[in-house]
Amino acid sequence: MTRVVVDREVCMGAGVCEMEAPEVFELDADGVLQVRELVDLPAVETAVRACPTGALQLID
Amino acid sequence: MTAVSTPTLDAIDLSERAFWGAPPEQRHAVFDVLRRESPFAFFAEPVVPYIPVGPGYHAVTRYADVEAISCQPALFASGSGAVSIADMPPDLNEFYGSLISMDDPRHGKIRRIVAKAFTPRVLEKLVGNVQAVADDVVARARRTAADGDGSIDVVADLAAPIPLRVICDMMGIPESDRAMVLQQSTVILSGGDPELVEDEEFMVTAFLKAGELLAGLMARLAAERHAHPADDLTTALVTTEVDGERLTHQEIASFFILLLVAGNETTRNAISQGVLALSEHPAERDRWAADPGLTRTAVEEIVRWTSPITWMRRTATQDVELSGQHFPAGSKFLLFYGAANRDPAVFADPHRFDLSRDPNPHVGFGSRGPHFCLGAHLARREIGVAFRSFAVGLPDLEVTGPPARLQSSFVNGLKRLPARLTAVR
Repeated sequence: MTRVVVDREVCMGAGVCEMEAPEVFELDADGVLQVRELVDLPAVETAVRACPTGALQLID
Repeated sequence: MTAVSTPTLDAIDLSERAFWGAPPEQRHAVFDVLRRESPFAFFAEPVVPYIPVGPGYHAVTRYADVEAISCQPALFASGSGAVSIADMPPDLNEFYGSLISMDDPRHGKIRRIVAKAFTPRVLEKLVGNVQAVADDVVARARRTAADGDGSIDVVADLAAPIPLRVICDMMGIPESDRAMVLQQSTVILSGGDPELVEDEEFMVTAFLKAGELLAGLMARLAAERHAHPADDLTTALVTTEVDGERLTHQEIASFFILLLVAGNETTRNAISQGVLALSEHPAERDRWAADPGLTRTAVEEIVRWTSPITWMRRTATQDVELSGQHFPAGSKFLLFYGAANRDPAVFADPHRFDLSRDPNPHVGFGSRGPHFCLGAHLARREIGVAFRSFAVGLPDLEVTGPPARLQSSFVNGLKRLPARLTAVR
């Protein structure tokens, strides 16, 4: 099943993924990225590509 | 648009102050030549009084190279200075650059502290606030026009107060200190413009004094917040710990200055030059006024078009290769975002102002990498709300003359933009 892996060392909390796919990604109150069910795969793919720090990876 | 003659490579000197006060068409004609003929053109450094002159810098104008440099922070570092061409004395560098002139791991640790305050969802809650600010600014501008002959200054009456009030609200700056904040942040990002820093000889002194005034405000607020924590960014800065350590007083002060300066200067210049662009492209302005759905792409196009921060610097930490060319360790690169944002390899018809441009992978907030603009969501929000408010509340806004441009290579800015509200008689 397709899933998203977040590199916590690299994630800067820029929130670009959340802009692209707000139903899937959310930076919580501590600035930690939460990933939910990948409901909108095209948006998720855009988000992964758009991450400024390259912290996201899509794995099949 | 006026015809612009094609400059020759030999005649180009990006270190000349006058170049940066020239109209954007002229500057973009120069960048087009550089991008095409000499994408890593080398220039001698401008002279800054009392600061040793460095070895010179490469002007990076191609999108792909800007991206390649930005996304390899270990090879192209920010720590020796990202906001000045010359290497500033280390304390000055850190004080004025803060996070921008810092490398990981410290950069990442500190950035995560404030990133929490800038997430899309936190900012979503601010929308009502931004809207209220914009509505009030629009109402005041109309009063200003009505009290006089209908004229206003787009910069002072529209573009400056929106980001000033938003960032000061976020940081909990008292009303009585805000005029000083605006004035001093303008000095810090003046790039030594002769109108803002009277004597170039004392440019560094002027920056220091501006920093001192802002740091003084910070010290006062820090003491207050320690005693009475509030729900603002200043409290977060003074109370947060990184790896069990509090930020030092100096780190807090420089971060505070960064947030104020970056929060004010960039968005102000995007808004003022967005107004100018819309007045030069009335069909686009009308299209947006009629269709609020255009706002998402329109905001991106305004940021691409204006590229308020002209460059950031990176310095090679070792011998490096870029697009097949070799550069020795220590080479300085200025990443010209506005030039990358007009690269025809990425943007079809790049000199066309197109509010529905999509996709629009501009680097107006910086390119991929750890230094991507912390305030991007906030800026987008402010710009979107501001222009919708202008469309609704100031449909009779008309630019009446040429802008006064800031003579700074670092900030693409306007000092003044005369306009009037034609409904005022």
